[in-house]
Amino acid sequence: MIHLERLSKTFGARPALHELTLDIPQGQIFGLLGHNGAGKSTTFGMILGQVFPTSGAAFIRGISVQQHRLRALQGVGAIFETPAFYDYLSGWTNLCIFTSYTRRVPESELREAVRFVGLESRINDPVRVYSHGMRQRLALAQALLPRPDLVLLDEPAEGLDPEGIHEMRHLILRLNRQHGMTVILSSHLLSEVEQVCDRIAVLNQGRMIFEGKWTELMGDSLRYRLDAEPWDAAAALVAARPEWKLSPEKIVTAGPGHDIADLVSGLVQSGIKVRAVEPLKQNLEEIYLNLVGGAKSTPSAT
Amino acid sequence: MPLFLTQFRFELVKMFSRKRTYIGFAAFLLMEVFLLFLLNLPRPKANFRHIIEQNGYGFDEFYSGYTLAMQILTYTTTLLGSLYLALIAGDLMAKEIEDGTMRMLLCRPISRIRVTLLKYLAAVTYTFVLIGFIGITALIAGLAYRGSGGLFVMAPQDGVFALVAPDRALGLYLLGIPLLALSMVTISCLGFLFSCCNMKPAAASIVTLSIIFLDFIFRTIPYFESIHPFFITTHLSAWIHIFESHPPVLRMIEDYSYLIGLDLTCLILGSAIFLQRDLK
Repeated sequence: MIHLERLSKTFGARPALHELTLDIPQGQIFGLLGHNGAGKSTTFGMILGQVFPTSGAAFIRGISVQQHRLRALQGVGAIFETPAFYDYLSGWTNLCIFTSYTRRVPESELREAVRFVGLESRINDPVRVYSHGMRQRLALAQALLPRPDLVLLDEPAEGLDPEGIHEMRHLILRLNRQHGMTVILSSHLLSEVEQVCDRIAVLNQGRMIFEGKWTELMGDSLRYRLDAEPWDAAAALVAARPEWKLSPEKIVTAGPGHDIADLVSGLVQSGIKVRAVEPLKQNLEEIYLNLVGGAKSTPSAT
Repeated sequence: MPLFLTQFRFELVKMFSRKRTYIGFAAFLLMEVFLLFLLNLPRPKANFRHIIEQNGYGFDEFYSGYTLAMQILTYTTTLLGSLYLALIAGDLMAKEIEDGTMRMLLCRPISRIRVTLLKYLAAVTYTFVLIGFIGITALIAGLAYRGSGGLFVMAPQDGVFALVAPDRALGLYLLGIPLLALSMVTISCLGFLFSCCNMKPAAASIVTLSIIFLDFIFRTIPYFESIHPFFITTHLSAWIHIFESHPPVLRMIEDYSYLIGLDLTCLILGSAIFLQRDLK
């Protein structure tokens, strides 16, 4: 659905994005993760043709955004971190205005989008009296008009209360599961991305430092508490295997692509009694910070 | 209705749904009433009498509703109209960019050229509506106060001194309104141009006004008389020549060609600048 080819952007002397290459297949919920200034919004801007890349190109359904923006953006909806509207006009008029820039949309379709986001009772009120959550929902409604097959959501849960975040998450999942839309979601809320995204890319200082499934990210750093007898023999055997690391607290950490079952089998074959192997789920923030921290020490990572 | 017209209609909806638009219109009405009051003070009235009678015409015939409307129209447009047009046109692009609605809008498959064209046409339409409003309300105020009669027009800076017979006064006055609006479009176009640049809406308005006022001031400096044709304000006053007994048609065509050329240059330059801009 989306292909980014060595996409780079420099604002003045400040590099905002460095050679980002990414493929996002159709039908996925893809998360773009990174702290503020990591390059997420710049990436969105370039996908939508609002920011001109210094080099590289973005393609939607194989169509170059930079060369054929109008064709590429057919069937694309988007919302931004702080959705902007004509505050002095009603939500309904705002929807009519924004959709008119794509094509004429029947009123029934407009009503359906309003119903989908649950704004029926307030759609005729001026936007200036809307709460932040209502503005986000209106933004989502306009992104769904006319019905897109790709939706870009830039920090959709930003500033929402827990109930609003839950609602937004539910809406995103419905868009994908019920309507088959491809969703690209940018956020710095790790738990939010974890709960809805099939795959993620992590950006740090304009560079992509991870791309894959959540499980791959978690799997890279799986840890287990090991209890075995005799312990000295078990510790010696683990130490002899470079793919495993053992801490004084009897915690073993698996290297990328290594299965704990192999280690247990090795221990048992050596006559060591394995009493317990307890997987320790690493804190999400910890994984992210380790990843970002690691990237800081290896600036050449892309 | 073609999609372009729908989009244009919504541009006008955006523009005419703002409270500020109507506050502005109310300000113009107040200004007109104030000018009417000033023009009827004994001294200005005596000056009018002196000038009209010195040229052998009757004061009562030519100090009419049309003459008052003309005075109100000229001063309101010059003093407040240019300020207001610069303000509105300076907002057109810059405010939408600043507020973030332009990003929302450009998520959609619409070309930037079309966006600038829509805004430009909205600016032109607004100018005609505003000047039309001032012209008609000034006429109503003038006629209500003094009734009809001849039309006396005096613009020393442009060499115009005209006394129009009562039967031609209304027609010429009504013809003068769109011509004045066509002149004022240039101020809107300048505002539009700066609105496309990377600056705040207020800055775009200030730059536009600065250019117009500096141009006007330089034009009044005697040393620059030989380069009068190069000043924008020289051409802006082309409309006033319609009231002369023998309007210099060729000169007026030349003036309006200059202004329309400038307007189109603003459109092209503004669009070119906007086409190159990153929207973040």
